[in-house]
Order: sequence, then structure tokens, then C-alpha cells
Amino acid sequence: MRDRFGLGWRAKLALGILSNLDRIDIVEVIADDYFRAPHRERRALRTLGAQTPVTLHGVSLGMASSVLVETKRLDEMARLCDEVSPVSWSEHLAFVRGGGIEIGHLAAPPRSAATVDGAIANLRRARKIVGVAPQVENVATLIDPPGSDRDEATWVSEIILHSDSDLLLDLHNLHANSINFNFDPVDYITRIPPERIGAIHLAGGKWIGRPDARRLLDDHLHDVPDPVYQLLEKVGACATRPLTVILERDGNFPPIEWLLEQLDRARRAVARGRTRRSAVAA
Amino acid sequence: MNDSRLETFLAGIYVDPGARAKFLANPRGEATRAGLTAQQVEDVIKIDRDGLELLADSLERKRHGRK
Repeated sequence: MRDRFGLGWRAKLALGILSNLDRIDIVEVIADDYFRAPHRERRALRTLGAQTPVTLHGVSLGMASSVLVETKRLDEMARLCDEVSPVSWSEHLAFVRGGGIEIGHLAAPPRSAATVDGAIANLRRARKIVGVAPQVENVATLIDPPGSDRDEATWVSEIILHSDSDLLLDLHNLHANSINFNFDPVDYITRIPPERIGAIHLAGGKWIGRPDARRLLDDHLHDVPDPVYQLLEKVGACATRPLTVILERDGNFPPIEWLLEQLDRARRAVARGRTRRSAVAA
Repeated sequence: MNDSRLETFLAGIYVDPGARAKFLANPRGEATRAGLTAQQVEDVIKIDRDGLELLADSLERKRHGRK
């Protein structure tokens, strides 16, 4: 089984990434940064794609909504995928706007039949327009979305089981939500169909809020904490398909070697999980 | 239709300080005025206020590129 390990492409990491492609299997690029980018920047992205496998990651479509994603937004993703030929593309199970109000970031929608149905409809349209179904990512949230009538593992499973989209399982989002809302992240993982886990995100975060009401914020500015590697090993033991594992870092950048060491630690965690899986199967 | 109204309502109180203040001052009244169903009104008035303030602050920081 050939798992892949890579980094999120950020301008301040570009030199470090390009200098270490022998230690990086794949690069994840934020698609939205290129929708209206000048020709030279899109050409640079194609050049990157010629040097290393690229996966495109969307942040603004708003797939998990009872409202249909606008066709023009899906057309932009389709054009970029045509240009770059990524190995995959992904979006979040989030809503990002409502009634003309732009939230400006990812928000967890109410976990209800309406957003399950809406997400499935949006993912079908996305597959039709882009040509390939996106992987879908679980999001972190600081608030349990009002109007929710089911837990997150149930909601995510319903969406992936009724669409062609596999799960991009963000383990820090899962870790943060499990702490903020007091559920067992291992139970969550075991309730996801293991054959539908296709990719993993790793990141870090920080505590915010009053001491008596604090929350763990997924901020992509800190190192991956130990519990996330433990969850990664668990996923390595249960996922039946090759995984693409991406380390996300959006700022407070350490030396590239520090990030590569975290990537190596991720490789070891998945390898331990794979070994456990093989031992059970033998 | 009512599901999109709920998303619109949530988007408003997440990003608009004025809408959020009105809601926190009169949760049932504002939710009803927004046309939410009776069940949705009951859901939103039980909102986690600490979480709402933290989320709103986090979204504000992200929109302005602050960490």
C-alpha cells in the first residue's frame, strides 16, 4: 500500500518545499488562490504540477449547505482542475455564506437531514461539472451548530455513503471538536466506513477563551500535537486504501526541516497502523 | 426554504456584531422575526453563548488576516 505524505503549499514554504521534493510525495494547493490569478501564477502552478503530484483544496464553495453552490464557482474549480490535472481535489463540509452574507471562513452547518441532502446534491453537481468528485473534509467548530439533530460521525457518514465523495479526515479538526464537545475521537473514526477514508490533514492549534469556557482552536499555526499522531496511527490501522497525508501550516513558520520531521513522524505513525492491520489480517 | 433561513440567520449572528447583539438581547424575538420555524427558534435560543462569541471573534480575526 503506497501512502503519500506532503505539505500544504504556502508562499513562505515554497523554497523549502522545492528544495526537498525527495522527502515530499505530494503538495496541496489552495485552489481559491488561483481562480482569478494572473496567467504567470497559473503557469507557475502548472510547472509545480509537472515536478510533483498536486492536490487542489477548495475553501469557499460551501458544499454542506441546503443552498446549491453557484455554477460559476464550480466552473472556476473545473477550469483549474483542467489546467493543473491534480491527482485529486477536495472541499470542506461547511457553509460559508447565507442569504448574501459572506462568513469569510468555514462554518459548521446544522447537522440535519436538510444539510445532508444539500451536501449530496452539491457534491453530485460538483462531480458533474468538474468531472471528478471532490474529497470532503470534516471541519473544526467552536460552537455546536444550532439545529443539529445528529452527531458529527453520523452526519459525515451519511454524506459520504450517499455521494461519490470520499472523506478527507482532518485529524486536528476531529481532535479539537472531540475536546470542545466531549466525544470520543476513536469512536468517531471507527464509525466512518474505512474504505471511504482517502486523505488526512494534520495541523495544530491553541487554547482560547476563559479558563472555565475554553475551546481548542484549529489555527494551523502550531505543531501537530501528540494525540493527533495517535489518531493517525488508528486511521492507518483501519483505512483500507492508500492515504494522502497533508501537513497544514499557515503561519508562524518554523524551519522547513522542522516540518519535514513532523512529516516523518506522520509516516511512522501510519506505518505502525499499517503493521497492526497486517498483523490482525495474518 | 426554512433551512436556508436558518443558515442565513446563523451567518448573520456569526459575522454581524449588531445582529448578534440584538439576538443575544432578545433571542426568541429575533429568531421569530427572522422567520425560523418553531423548532428552529427553540434550537437557536439554546445556543452556546460562549461558543458564539469565540466563533465570532475567530471569524473576525480570519477575515482581517489576524491570528
